[in-house]
Amino acid sequence: MRVFTRVIHTIFCLMLAVAWPHAYAAQKSAVNPDAQVLQDFKARVDKYVELRNKADDGAPPIKKTDDSTELRSAQQGLAERIGAARTPAKQGDIFTPEIAARFRKLLRPEVNEPGTKATIKDDNPGAFPFKVNGPYPSKEPLSTVPPNVLASLPPLPKDIEYRFVNKHLILRDARANLIIDYIPNALS
Amino acid sequence: MHSRLHTRFVIALALLVGAIGAPAAQDVSLPNQPDSLKFAIIGDSGTGSSSQHKVAEMLIAARAKFPYEFILMMGDNLYSGSGPKDYQKKFEVPYKPLLDSGLKFYAALGNHDNTDEKNYKPFNMGGQRYYTFKPKNGVRVFALDSNYMDQPQLQWLEKELTASGSDWKIVFFHHPLYSSGMHGSDIQLRAQLEPLFLKHGVDVVFSGHEHFYERIKPQKGIYYFTSGGAAKLREGDVNKTNLTAKSFDTGYHFMVIELTKDALHFQAISDQGKTVDSGTLPRVTDQEKKKLSTS
Repeated sequence: MRVFTRVIHTIFCLMLAVAWPHAYAAQKSAVNPDAQVLQDFKARVDKYVELRNKADDGAPPIKKTDDSTELRSAQQGLAERIGAARTPAKQGDIFTPEIAARFRKLLRPEVNEPGTKATIKDDNPGAFPFKVNGPYPSKEPLSTVPPNVLASLPPLPKDIEYRFVNKHLILRDARANLIIDYIPNALS
Repeated sequence: MHSRLHTRFVIALALLVGAIGAPAAQDVSLPNQPDSLKFAIIGDSGTGSSSQHKVAEMLIAARAKFPYEFILMMGDNLYSGSGPKDYQKKFEVPYKPLLDSGLKFYAALGNHDNTDEKNYKPFNMGGQRYYTFKPKNGVRVFALDSNYMDQPQLQWLEKELTASGSDWKIVFFHHPLYSSGMHGSDIQLRAQLEPLFLKHGVDVVFSGHEHFYERIKPQKGIYYFTSGGAAKLREGDVNKTNLTAKSFDTGYHFMVIELTKDALHFQAISDQGKTVDSGTLPRVTDQEKKKLSTS
C-alpha cells in the first residue's frame, strides 16, 4: 500500500514537473500579449508625436497672443503640415484591431461605473461626420472624459487626448485640432 | 469758433445721454473694504447674444461702485466656434470697456471651448489648461480643466495645493461637484477632487456648466457656488434638493466676491440689476474642516 502511494506521489510530481513550465508559459503568454498590445499603442503614438515635431520644426511656435487670427492660423498651419506628412492616413493606423479590442475591454468596466455613462453622454457632441487627419469641427463641443475612464486608459503625451464622439473614441491632437485616429463604437 | 462750440455741445449732450442711458449701478452690498480682494464671476458667457451684453453692462455698472480687480470665467467662454470672429463677438466686444480699463480675465475651459483658448492672452491662462495665480498675499486661485481630469493634472494640483500653505484657496472649473440641475453633480470628478480639497484645506469652489445660479450648503466645510448664467439660461432648471442653500433660475446673472482675512462676502446680481443672493461666509479653519470631513 505504501509502495503504491509512493508511486502515485512520484507520478504526480513528475506530471507537475512536466506541466509546470507549460502552465507558467501559458500564464505568461496570457499576460504578455496585453502588455505587448499597449506597448504597440505607445510606439504608434510616439511615432505620431515624432512626425508632429518634425512637421512643427522650423515653424513659429504657437505662442500666447491676443491676436485670435494668429492663433487660428498657427493651428491650421500645423494641421496642414501634419496632414501632408501623414498622407495616406487611415482609421486603424494607431488603433489596430488588437489595440481597439484591448481598449474596449479597458473601457467596459469603467463606463458601467455609476455616473460615468451619464457624464460621457451629457457633454457628448453626438454624431457628426469626421475623418482621420481631418480637423475636429470647431463648432462642436468636446466631450468630457471622466477621470476614472482616463485613469483606465494608457497615458498620452502632452496635447494628445482621448475624446468621445457619439459612441466612438477618438484620439485628438489638441495642438493641431486634428483627429489622429478613432475606435468605432468603442462604447457599444 | 462756432464749430468748436457745436462740437463741445454735442460731446456734452452725448455724455449726458450716456449717463442717463447707462444701466443703473446696482446696490453692491459688499463691505468694499480698502484692503480686501475683490473680484467677479461669470460663467457660460460666450454667446455674443444680447443677454451676454446685458450682463456685461451690469458688470461694468457694478465696477463703478465695487472696484473688482479681475473676473474669473467658469468656462464655455466661446460657444459654437473659436475663430477670430468668435473671440471678437463673444468676448472682446461685450467686455470692451472692462478690457480697455486693463481689467484682467482668468478663464477655465468648458466643454464648448477649444483647448487653444489657453494661448489667448486676454484669458490669462499662460498657455496651460490648468494654472494657478496669487492675486494678493494670503490668497491663491487654482483654475482646473474639468473636461479632462487626467493624472498629470491631479498630480499638479496636489503639488500646488501643498505649496499654497495657509492661503485662502479658491478653486474654479467648469463642471460642478454638487448641483441640483439638469446635469447634476459630477460624481466621478468629485471622487477625484474632493479628497484633495479636504486634505489641503480648499475654502471655496466656483463652477459653471449649469445655466443658473446655485449656492450649495457647505459640504464638509467647503463652500460651493454654481454660476453658469452670464449668457445662457435654463429657466426653472433648479430641482431644489437638500444641497441647495439658494438658487436663481429665472434670469441671467453674475457674481461679485470680496475676500477679507476671515470671511468671504458674496453677491449674485441678475441682468436686471437685482440682488438674487448675498451673504457672508466665515472662513472655516483647517481644524474645523477636518472635523467636518470625518463626521
